[in-house]
Amino acid sequence: MNAPIIFLFNVVILSMIVNIGLSLYGVFIRPSLIKKIIALTIFSDTINLLAILIGFRYATPNPLPPILTTIPPSPKDIEIFVSKAVDPVPQALVLTAIVIGLAVTLFLIFVTIQIYRIYGTTDVRKIAKLRG
Amino acid sequence: MKKLLHLFAPLALVLLTIGLGAVVTLGGISFFLPSPDVRSLAWIYLKTTFNTTFSISPLAPEAVTAIVWDYRGLDTLFETSVMFLAIVGALMVFRGLSEELLMQHKVGEGGLSLIVKTVTRITIVMITAVGASLALHGHLTPGGGFQGGATIAVAPMIMITTFSLYFLAKKLAIKKAILFRSIGLAVIAITAYLVLVTALVGGGYAYIFQNQAKVGSPYSVPSYIGDGIVLGGTLILFNVAETLAVAFGFVALFILISIPEVLAKEVVSKGEE
Repeated sequence: MNAPIIFLFNVVILSMIVNIGLSLYGVFIRPSLIKKIIALTIFSDTINLLAILIGFRYATPNPLPPILTTIPPSPKDIEIFVSKAVDPVPQALVLTAIVIGLAVTLFLIFVTIQIYRIYGTTDVRKIAKLRG
Repeated sequence: MKKLLHLFAPLALVLLTIGLGAVVTLGGISFFLPSPDVRSLAWIYLKTTFNTTFSISPLAPEAVTAIVWDYRGLDTLFETSVMFLAIVGALMVFRGLSEELLMQHKVGEGGLSLIVKTVTRITIVMITAVGASLALHGHLTPGGGFQGGATIAVAPMIMITTFSLYFLAKKLAIKKAILFRSIGLAVIAITAYLVLVTALVGGGYAYIFQNQAKVGSPYSVPSYIGDGIVLGGTLILFNVAETLAVAFGFVALFILISIPEVLAKEVVSKGEE
C-alpha cells in the first residue's frame, strides 16, 4: 500500500491515542463531576470508533456492508459477500455499547443532579470533605 | 494569557498528531492497516448468515442483527439487563418526583411560538416513522431495536422543549412509560423461550434462544413468507420488543430529568420519614 494511505491511518490511530489521553486527563484531573462525565463519553466514543476501525477490511474497489441484498442468495452471491464484506462482529458490539452507554451516562447524570440538589456542589474535592 | 493558552493548546495537539504521523510514516512504521481478510470468526458469521446449506444459519440477510440476536443472543440479553439496571437505578435516585409532578396539573399555554409548535407536530411524526422503520427493518437493513428505540426517544424530548413538560406528562405518565418498557422486556424474555416451549409441547426439545432449526431440533420460527418477504424468525420480535424497552425507558428518564428544579428541591429537602 502506498504512503498516503499509511499516513492517513497513522494519523487516525495517533489522534485516537491523543483523544484517549485527553479524556483520561478529564476523568482523573478535572474536579467537576459534569466534566468527568463529558470526558467519559468522549473516552467511550473513542473506544467504539477504534473497535469499528479494527473491523474494517481492505477490498477492491470497495468493501461492502455486511448485508446480503439478494434473497435468496445464490452460492456465487455468498462467495462475493464473504470475500468483500467488512467484519460484522465489532459493529454488533458497538451498536449495543452506544445505547448501554447512553443509559449509563443518564444514570450518572441523575446521580450528579441529586448530589447537586443535596450538597449544592459538583466539585469532588468539596464532596469528599462533607461529613454526614 | 489564559485565552491564548486555550487557543494554542488544541492547535499544538493537532499539529503534534499530524507531525508525529508524518514522521512515523517516513520512518516506515504503520500502526494499523486494514487487512484484505477478515478474522475466521467473522468469516463463519458472513458465510452462514443466510445460507440454507448450513444448519446453524439464522436465515437473516443482515449479519449484524443476526449476531446481536441469534449467534450472541445471550450476550445481548445481559446488555439489555445492564440498561434495565441503569434505568431502574436512575428512577430510584429520583423516586417520589413523578407523583408530585402529576399532582400539580398545571396545564398552561406555555411553550414556544405557534410556528415552532406546528413544525414540531410534523417533525415528531417523521422522527417516529424513521425510528419505527429502523426497528422493523432491523433484520434487512442497518438498524435494529437499539437504534430505533434511541431515535424514537428523541421525539418526546423535542415535545418537552417545544410544548411543555406538563403537556407531555398529561399524555404519557412516567408510570405508563415504565409499563411499556416492562412489556418490551417481558416480550424479550418470552421470545427467548418461544421455540423451546413450542418444542416441549410438541414432544421434542430445543435450545434457549433458538431461532431456526438446529441439528436434532427441527423447530423454528418462520423465516420468510413466499419468495421475497423476509421476517427473520425471532429477530423481528426481538427488535420490536427492544424498541419498546429502549424508547420508553429513555422517555421516562427524559421526563424525570426535565422536572423543574423548584419542584424537585421541595421533594428532596422534605426527605423521607
